[in-house]
Amino acid sequence: MTHPLVFAEVPLGRVRRTTLGGTPPLETEVEGPFSLQVAAHQTVAVVGDESSGVDTLAGLALGLERPPAGQVFTLGTEIAKLGRVAQLAFRRKVGYLPAGDGLMQNLTLRDNVRLPLRFGSNFRPKDIEGRVDVIMAQLRLTRASYLRPAQTNAEDRRRAALARALAFDPELVVMEEPFDGLTDRTAGELLEAARGGETAEGGRRTVLVTAASLPALLLSRVDRRLRLVRGRLEEER
Amino acid sequence: MVGLLAEVGRGTARWLAQVGGLARFGFEAIASLTSLPGAGRRVATRVLLNQLRFTALEAVGLIILLSGILSYLTISTTITQLDRVGASELIGKLMVVAIVRELGPLLTAIAIVGRSGTAITAELATNTVLGEVRALEAMGIDPYHYLVLPRLFGSVVSVSTLMVLFDVVAIIGGFLAAAFIAGMSAPRYLGIVLANLTTQDVVLTGIKGLLFGLVIGIIPSYEGLSVRRGPTEIPQAVIRGTVNSLALIFVLAAVIVGALRG
Repeated sequence: MTHPLVFAEVPLGRVRRTTLGGTPPLETEVEGPFSLQVAAHQTVAVVGDESSGVDTLAGLALGLERPPAGQVFTLGTEIAKLGRVAQLAFRRKVGYLPAGDGLMQNLTLRDNVRLPLRFGSNFRPKDIEGRVDVIMAQLRLTRASYLRPAQTNAEDRRRAALARALAFDPELVVMEEPFDGLTDRTAGELLEAARGGETAEGGRRTVLVTAASLPALLLSRVDRRLRLVRGRLEEER
Repeated sequence: MVGLLAEVGRGTARWLAQVGGLARFGFEAIASLTSLPGAGRRVATRVLLNQLRFTALEAVGLIILLSGILSYLTISTTITQLDRVGASELIGKLMVVAIVRELGPLLTAIAIVGRSGTAITAELATNTVLGEVRALEAMGIDPYHYLVLPRLFGSVVSVSTLMVLFDVVAIIGGFLAAAFIAGMSAPRYLGIVLANLTTQDVVLTGIKGLLFGLVIGIIPSYEGLSVRRGPTEIPQAVIRGTVNSLALIFVLAAVIVGALRG
């Protein structure tokens, strides 16, 4: 597959955000159309301020938001056209680190990482525990394993949210505001973990980072850096 | 005049949209049972057991208190009057018609709305505001499976069980009042009560348990998951969840009484 993630002519200004309850869809005020191709093994960062529409990209990539026009292909599939159950199953192929981490507050960090594996796979409990042990150690979370999110610091919460996103060892990882409030060193560690190591073609995984800005130390570590200004992309280097 | 009509129209449209949204939500929640994966079933069962502990087990004391006091007060204040006119047998009818059939289910449902309905709305609204619901969907976990179904089934089982407990305690409380105040013996009291208790009363308790449980499972979940803007919306959602649940429970109770008379 050449491009694991493709946005084709999506008018970001009319992205529909829905809730399970009865709240009417919210519409953003940004203009489009927006197009971007994220090549395999690349780490692409799209930065932009709040009004740029950058915060809608992750939702579109995962099919959490429905584009009113244009197309979004994730791992070659137009996720918006899938039924609800198929969409949910498909999303397990994509790792997602949401802004603000989105950890379940009533679960320990370890249970948070374990949850997608226990809910969405038929792995044996022993295999799940083994996988969780590896991810927790990789993200240096072993000592905070049995703490709940409110009992830990922002750094551990972000590490746990990334560990959860990597639980299924996805091919594509989408990170929303991943480095907010973190030191450059921690941000670098998280980005490396998301890339999953290096191959001859680049990172083992394809990574899309959306953020208001990138820490200075990471500017050289991303393959492409783009700025989104009112729905239009400008290559930064 | 046109402005007034437009306002009424807008209000009606909003209300209908709310009712439609609620009906859709309830239907989708129940229908999602068919797509619950095998592995997810085990996780959802654990959430359900947790919900049962909170909604049923931890509410036992409250239900015993409410039921015991209500039945004792009702029987103790009426039995002396009925005894005077030689109609003490009527306490059986009073116990079955007023307490077992009507007040028992209603008070149990009110107690569960106040205790668990509010908690469900607040918890799910917090989950939504903190981005947990969105994160679940992004992980491929259906919030209906993980959040709504366990609460829905937990409410139905809890309300039904607690209604039976309410009725049993009410009968015991009524006996204590009848024994202490009018010196009625246990066999006579039980004979009077059981003579008035019909199969219809038992079936009706089951139906009310199911309907009231569904209301307490669906409306607070719906209101909790409708929150979007931020934490300031949570108290409003809790109020809407509580008021709408109570209103629908009272309407259903009235409809059931009307249907039985018709």
